[in-house]
Amino acid sequence: MSETYAVELRNVVKQFGEVVAVNNVSLRIGEGEFFSMLGPSGCGKTTTLRMIAGLEMPTSGSVMIYGEEQGYLPPYQRPVNTVFQNYALFPHMTVAQNVAFGLEMKKVPKDEIRRRVAEALELVQLTGKEKRRPKQLSGGQKQRVALARALVNRPKVLLLDEPLGALDLKLRKAMQSELKALQERVGITFVYVTHDQEEALVMSDRIAVMNEGNVLQVGTPEEIYETPTSRFVADFIGKTNFLNGEVVEIGDGLAKVVLENGAVVEASVPEGKTFVRGERATVSIRPERVYITPANELPDVRNAKAFSHLPAKLVKFFYVGSERRYVVLVGDTEVVVQAQNVDRSTRRCHTGDEVVLHWDSAQARLLKE
Amino acid sequence: MKKLLTLLRKRPSFQAWLLLLPSAFWLFVFFIAPLFIVLIYSFLERGTYGGVQWHFTLENYRRTFDPLYFKTFGRSFYIAIVTTIATLLIGYPLAYYIASRPAKRRGTLVLALMIPFWTNFLVRTYAWLTLLRTHTGLINVTLMSLGWIQKPLPLFGNDFAIIVGLVYGWLPDMVLPIYAALDRLDHSLLEAASDLYASGPNVFRRIVWPLSLPGVVAGSMLVFIPSLGAFVTPAILGGGKTLMIGNIISNQFLAAHDWPFGSALSFVMMAVMLAATLIYFRATSDEERRQL
Repeated sequence: MSETYAVELRNVVKQFGEVVAVNNVSLRIGEGEFFSMLGPSGCGKTTTLRMIAGLEMPTSGSVMIYGEEQGYLPPYQRPVNTVFQNYALFPHMTVAQNVAFGLEMKKVPKDEIRRRVAEALELVQLTGKEKRRPKQLSGGQKQRVALARALVNRPKVLLLDEPLGALDLKLRKAMQSELKALQERVGITFVYVTHDQEEALVMSDRIAVMNEGNVLQVGTPEEIYETPTSRFVADFIGKTNFLNGEVVEIGDGLAKVVLENGAVVEASVPEGKTFVRGERATVSIRPERVYITPANELPDVRNAKAFSHLPAKLVKFFYVGSERRYVVLVGDTEVVVQAQNVDRSTRRCHTGDEVVLHWDSAQARLLKE
Repeated sequence: MKKLLTLLRKRPSFQAWLLLLPSAFWLFVFFIAPLFIVLIYSFLERGTYGGVQWHFTLENYRRTFDPLYFKTFGRSFYIAIVTTIATLLIGYPLAYYIASRPAKRRGTLVLALMIPFWTNFLVRTYAWLTLLRTHTGLINVTLMSLGWIQKPLPLFGNDFAIIVGLVYGWLPDMVLPIYAALDRLDHSLLEAASDLYASGPNVFRRIVWPLSLPGVVAGSMLVFIPSLGAFVTPAILGGGKTLMIGNIISNQFLAAHDWPFGSALSFVMMAVMLAATLIYFRATSDEERRQL
């Protein structure tokens, strides 16, 4: 017996004519999970979401909701609801009529509709706005109506297609924590599509990073950020430095790489990936994981089994208040270093100096080039 | 000249009036002034060979309530309403079809809809004559030679023929406003409704129809008003027997030489149309206001 998932996709493919929008995607989304699909525009995340909703039919593969094959069921027969990117509120109906729409279609008794609409509007803090038309609402309020209109139906899974995309930055941040709190309160599985990596990191239980129709990595925000398994994921989530080189030695979880300028550094090998000696590869290291010191000094850090040291030349320095940002050259490659503005040794590095970069080798990732 | 320019700059509203002048002049000379003349004539006595005699009278308006004319008013109303409903029943699906085509095809289809109407209205109405005529019309001749009917069908010289001619004539005026309304319809609203458990018919009833209503209202007015006043179509396809109020008015001017009575009839018809339009807008404006 296999476990039942809220949503399970098996080898789902979607082609539009010649274009493959979604290429053999398999995902398992657990009950009550806040699951995000993250990727640049055109990566197939929205198409995948629409296939769960029934707004697109897969070319091949299977979509299951709570173990039930959805096949070619139309959207109105699926136990899911969608919050659309532009909200898609019905302009000729009031807020209350918009929210009641799904229940009316399901022929829920009138007094129950009234009660549940009131509850849903309370949930999104729109009590008192029942009689307004969508045009009389602000962006954030429209967003809440769209949420209430979907949640009032108590769907098994709520699908959200970039729901905060049209809001300004400040409101977006506020809605992020509000949405997350709401999801925890109602306990409904959320499948959330976004291209904003920070949004995905802040809100999600798990994230699927997509590119060009493929799911590249699925994991918790921490896994995705700390242990990316591909160059694309390392680059798309957060900031990182890439150093190209050649694998010269493979040890216990760590590999030695000789960089283009001849220096040798160490990096951790992602689980499930194999490298061979002599293979070209990339070392990815986050700016905040690199320590910078004047030449011939060691950083004031302990607790690392193995350290990599890399001589470089400091070319630019930015004072950002909470942090100090350095741009150094390793051969021809620019590397960015971000240091918390507490570390004294970094303060003695000046533009034009020869410096040394240090990092815990376990924090660097060896990735296919 | 320079003084004028400075004045215009100082008082921008003068610019607007200056720009309005040509169209205001045109409207006054060719629309308001003639209308005023017709209004004055409607209160005068007829001249023997057309024209008027300058004696004030209300007799013309009294005559418009003569049962004979009253009946013609009623028939005109009936024909205009049936025409509007038939045009809507044919035009709405057509507009829906065009609006749901890919963007490239839509332009072509709208053009295809318009092309027949580049031909003169009279010519097109005569074309229907050759199709509908009782004994020599193409439809009856074909059906009889095929042996499907023994006697010719009553296709000509009646209300049916007039309605067919009017529906044909005013169809684009119904299709275009509805098409414009449907074209503006946000596709994601249909998806949202479908996502909220609405089946196809419910999506139409609750979303598509109410949102296209402004187009339906506009189209209906554009068809109803000219249908009510039609005189070419009933003159040709009514076979001289079935008359509408438009024919009576044109007869007063061209045949009976009773200009004052024709003027009075025109004004009564205008009043009736205005009342009908107001009632129609009042009845639909609630839906319309929701749109805004």
